Amino acid sequence: MKRLMAIFERDVTLAFRTGGGALNSVAFFALTVVIFALAIGPDRARLSESAAPILWTAATLAAMLSFDRILQADFEDGSLDALIESGDLLSLVALAKASAHWVSTLLPLILATPVLGLLLGLPAHAYFPLMASMVIGTPALSLFGALASALALSLRRASMLITILTAPLLTPAIIFGVAAANAGARGDALFGPALMLLAAMTLFGVLVTPAATAAAIRFNTD
Amino acid sequence: MTKREKRLLLVAAVVGVAAVAAALVLTALNSAVAYFYTPSDLQKLEKTPVGLIRLGGLVAPGSVKFAEGRETEVNFVIKDEFAETAVSYKGVLPDLFREGQGVIVQGKLENGRVLASEVLAKHDENYMPKEVADALKEQGRWKEGETP
Amino acid sequence: MHNLANPQRFEKLAIRLTPLLSIAAGVTALFGLYYALFNSPADYQQGESVRIMYVHVPAAWMALMCYSTMAIASGVGFIWKHPLADVTAKSTAPIGAAFTFLALVTGSIWGKPMWGTWWAWDARLTSVLILFFLYLGYIALWSAIDDKTRAAKVAAIACLVGFINIPIIKFSVDWWNSLHQPASVLRGGGPTIHQSMLTPLLLMGIAYGLTFAALLLISMRAELAERRIARLEQSARAPSKAMIL
Repeated sequence: MKRLMAIFERDVTLAFRTGGGALNSVAFFALTVVIFALAIGPDRARLSESAAPILWTAATLAAMLSFDRILQADFEDGSLDALIESGDLLSLVALAKASAHWVSTLLPLILATPVLGLLLGLPAHAYFPLMASMVIGTPALSLFGALASALALSLRRASMLITILTAPLLTPAIIFGVAAANAGARGDALFGPALMLLAAMTLFGVLVTPAATAAAIRFNTD
Repeated sequence: MTKREKRLLLVAAVVGVAAVAAALVLTALNSAVAYFYTPSDLQKLEKTPVGLIRLGGLVAPGSVKFAEGRETEVNFVIKDEFAETAVSYKGVLPDLFREGQGVIVQGKLENGRVLASEVLAKHDENYMPKEVADALKEQGRWKEGETP
Repeated sequence: MHNLANPQRFEKLAIRLTPLLSIAAGVTALFGLYYALFNSPADYQQGESVRIMYVHVPAAWMALMCYSTMAIASGVGFIWKHPLADVTAKSTAPIGAAFTFLALVTGSIWGKPMWGTWWAWDARLTSVLILFFLYLGYIALWSAIDDKTRAAKVAAIACLVGFINIPIIKFSVDWWNSLHQPASVLRGGGPTIHQSMLTPLLLMGIAYGLTFAALLLISMRAELAERRIARLEQSARAPSKAMIL
């Protein structure tokens, strides 16, 4: 447990220190939102209607671009081999790495969401449901992202492949995430059934991806 | 903790997470994520939904009224077992649109009436030749819209 | 199954089976199409347009079956390390993607006159579209990794994780109020489709299945031949090493 915490802390620290990698994701997120807003035009009603889908989509795109960082650097400098040899359950190591990715990449995006929501004219009562849906749903992105990053481990310049692999698996998160945010804004109890499906997806990710990620790491390193 | 205890803890965690996930999915499916509202759903809503909504149900028999001389302006009523909602639509109707048919309309809800921008006909899972359908109806064994 | 573990024995069998399966597929398709186009009634609601069903529904069945085949082959490859398992999985993917594409296109053509739209974002349509992208991702993963043994294992993981989509597709029409109609053939309480329409549908289903089997054998042989060439090239490039080994 202690060692897993150490892996987690190391990954988070590295993400914030090395060239502002994690902060780049926030910049990318903000720019994508701005581009969407400019493309849609100045119609306030349409913008505020599209705010939840835009923010969810932009967060997913930003996450997708960062997935190859989850394991690639450790693979290249050999520290991944050390982790494999360390005797910790590799699935749990994968879980720790996915959690670190969430904290270092997606949590900053969620924290940036209120500011961008302001630009999009998100109504005041819609902030909490949107952010809640992101907090519950985005861990699934990190989990499946870690898996894709492990699958593409032996490849250089894998970000396009990782996007192709993760996009179909992550669409349900966007669908249910936006549906939950909208249901919450509408005032449905418990943000409607969409939030439950979103939570189920994150839990399904917790259940399935660590073992699959560990297996993929092994196949790609032996 | 010994290795064995750790392993037990892990198994318990996996089983626990799986159970919670399954429970969530089952509860969520019970309350059906709808592609559309039904008229009774609309009646039960406390607030009028903003923006585009989808409404699904059967076209009430005798309710289809075209604007005079025009085939592309139509008013009709969508009903389910318990409630009815009026719909106005300008545009081309799909081939399957007729009274008693299941349809889904998309549009804005204003004063309890849906101003539809799109009308889609839903067909059911029953496939049979016309003669069979007529014979079944004649014998009173089956009505359109239900499973035989 | 273990007799087939030897690729040469498999090849012999495949060479003999391929023409038989192709002919059987052709004949069944002819019969099926004859029934579907000329010798089956128009639907009481949909009229003549219902005939699109005979090419659409079997394509959708095959889309699901091909992915299931891939998932089973991937599982077999993991557990029993059967040498043909990953060849099967890899060769199935493009065929499955083609069937999925066919199901989407014919569904779209059917949807326009019936529903009044080419496409709707309802649960069934969306989940089948996702299936199509899963196929593409699987194919992309195979082609990205050069080492075949590694690619086989890694792609198998991707395939198995994506399998969750298959029950979602099957039950999407029951779980959600969808535009797409519920199941007519594989459902509790028997088919809700009249015998005169069920016969051509099943004939077309068999024809599609036989086509899949014939295509699979051909593309598996191609894959085996490709691997043999790769091996030969490798040993030609490093003859001394090959001799030592």
